[in-house]
Amino acid sequence: MKIYDVHQPLPEELSQLPDEMFQLQVREHGFDEIGKSNSAGFYRDALRRLRQNKASVISFWIILTIILLAIIVPNVTGYTYTQQNVSGKNLPPKIPGLERIGIADGTMVLTNRKKDSLSNPKRFPEGSIVEVVREYQANKVAVVDVKVDYYKYCKIDEGEYHWFGTDYLGRDILTRLFMGARVSLLIAFISVITNVVIGVIYGSVAGYYGGKVDMFLTHFAEVLDGLPYIVVTILFMLLFGSGMFSIILALTVTGWIGTARLTRAQFYRFKGREYVLAARTLGVPDRKLIFRHILPNSIGPLITRAMIAIPGAIFSESFLAYIGLGIKPPEPSIGTLLSVGQSVLLQYPYQTLFPAVLISVLMVAFNLFSNGLRDAMDPTLRGEEG
Amino acid sequence: MFKYILGRIGAMLLTLFLVMTLSFWIIRLMPMSIFENPEVSPEIQKKLEDRMHLHEPMAVQYFYFIEGIAVRGDFGTSVKIRPGLDVFEILSTRIPATVVLNAFSLILSIPLGILFGSWAALKRNKWADNIISFWIVICISVPSFVFASLLQYFLTFVWPVFPTLYNAQAANFGAQLYSMILPIIALSLNPIASIARYLRGELIETLSSDFMLLARTKGLTQGEATMKHAFRNSLVPIANTIIPMITGIMGGSLVIEKMFAVNGMGGLLIDSILAGDHFLTVALLIFYSAISLFTILVVDISYGIIDPRIRVGGRA
Repeated sequence: MKIYDVHQPLPEELSQLPDEMFQLQVREHGFDEIGKSNSAGFYRDALRRLRQNKASVISFWIILTIILLAIIVPNVTGYTYTQQNVSGKNLPPKIPGLERIGIADGTMVLTNRKKDSLSNPKRFPEGSIVEVVREYQANKVAVVDVKVDYYKYCKIDEGEYHWFGTDYLGRDILTRLFMGARVSLLIAFISVITNVVIGVIYGSVAGYYGGKVDMFLTHFAEVLDGLPYIVVTILFMLLFGSGMFSIILALTVTGWIGTARLTRAQFYRFKGREYVLAARTLGVPDRKLIFRHILPNSIGPLITRAMIAIPGAIFSESFLAYIGLGIKPPEPSIGTLLSVGQSVLLQYPYQTLFPAVLISVLMVAFNLFSNGLRDAMDPTLRGEEG
Repeated sequence: MFKYILGRIGAMLLTLFLVMTLSFWIIRLMPMSIFENPEVSPEIQKKLEDRMHLHEPMAVQYFYFIEGIAVRGDFGTSVKIRPGLDVFEILSTRIPATVVLNAFSLILSIPLGILFGSWAALKRNKWADNIISFWIVICISVPSFVFASLLQYFLTFVWPVFPTLYNAQAANFGAQLYSMILPIIALSLNPIASIARYLRGELIETLSSDFMLLARTKGLTQGEATMKHAFRNSLVPIANTIIPMITGIMGGSLVIEKMFAVNGMGGLLIDSILAGDHFLTVALLIFYSAISLFTILVVDISYGIIDPRIRVGGRA
């Protein structure tokens, strides 16, 4: 390629060129492309930014998977979440396929067994002993630690599998875990939605009417907000008694205040705008002004806030379960499973492991997703705390 | 300044009063009230009747309840856990362990959070930042009791480095503290991560601001400018995260104390809730509120001293 200076006269070899040698060049960039693409609205723009955030996209799929599993799994395991099996208590995990390579094969090490009892088919049924791990003397008696196929040891039928094992009543943990996820997610979603609805109404009224109404409402919310969250939640749980509905109520007592504050601030920002004034001059009633003209402005931050509140609600539920104020006993939730598992942590660690992994994954996914959502909805806030 | 402190104390007392009021009405309105419970011995019922002035109207009872707590420090009588014993007596034996646990966790969290946060910010987008940021997300998301379970299983059972439970009868304070290390770690992970996350965001923003450029232009090295200007400016808003952190630690310690058998208020609260010993529960809750409100007051006041602009309107 050769470069010519435009300010110099055209050189000889160029002016001699035949017309066929010339090619029409069209500029590809820099034209206005009016009408070729739709203008990106706020939500489309936010969605595009959200899609670029890999962590958020992965988190979104994880959350969706867990929700789907929570809906499907309890129906297909073949057990119900209350079905007890007295002979199969605390069975270790046994998963078809994986059992061949030695993971989750339903074996367990029993310690401190008398050596003589190994040959007793009543204590150790045919084929239940896998290997003797250790032999030693205790009080002059030959004692062994023996690894057994716990399913055969408990005389469980050949084809029976408990993927995540069973608990102290012989209930299938896999079924209970996803049933529990269902309950926990339900509590989280319902309580967050309730909080948002109450907060939006409260904040709208305070923000829209202003003046004395606002002063009264804001002070009331402030006093309520001063109460330590845990104390209020525990007190109201005591009053309502245990159960799903009580937990939702207890989480709502002070949970709406943040949303109300946010909505109020948004109203103060937008209620003085010209378009609101115009609508009011045209005789639009207050209710319509609030919900049709001003509120839609705050939907972005509200969605973000609600998403951030969900892992908080899941945490609160399991926290309440730990202190004995959770869901009523036969009903599982991730929290109750964790607290039951915790009491036998050293003997049967898998009973804690599965709920712990599930709640951790769920919390991380929700946090990452809501962080991404916040960044997408409000790019100026990136990196800050909301 | 004096007026500001007075105002904060006033707000704190009002909140405490509200907790008491709420507690009273909840005890009295609760189904299965302790007052008509056949399991409670007549002797204690008599004592309760005298104390609570049950023959008087509700409003008068309420007055006596508040007066009892505020004037005489009389929180009522335990019904189930230690029947007949003064609630306050039971409480006073349990406070030290909780305070020690929470205080250590707080003392540990602040410097570590600042360390990790500033490290991540200074090495922004390098591997150190990536690792720290990853751990921040994990530590903020995963509940403290899950961490506690993990620590307990791996560090006391699989590799027995630490004792499984808190040992209050240990020979000296050092040994006691040693058995308290795991609960302290479990409680601190979340606050460390929240401080680090906040400081990282704050410091990154400050580092790219105009006055940092000015500081460099006037001849300071990057290190000097960071220490003298950026760091100090970023530290002030940390107080904002410390207040929710305190309540977080207090709440977490409820469960953690139970798990590690620390004989503090947390385990007692859980026991009293499970047993239905409502006076004890309420007294514990009031105490919890008092401690957390007091800590918040201290932070608020120190914040007012650090940054006088805050004083005008109170913390937003």
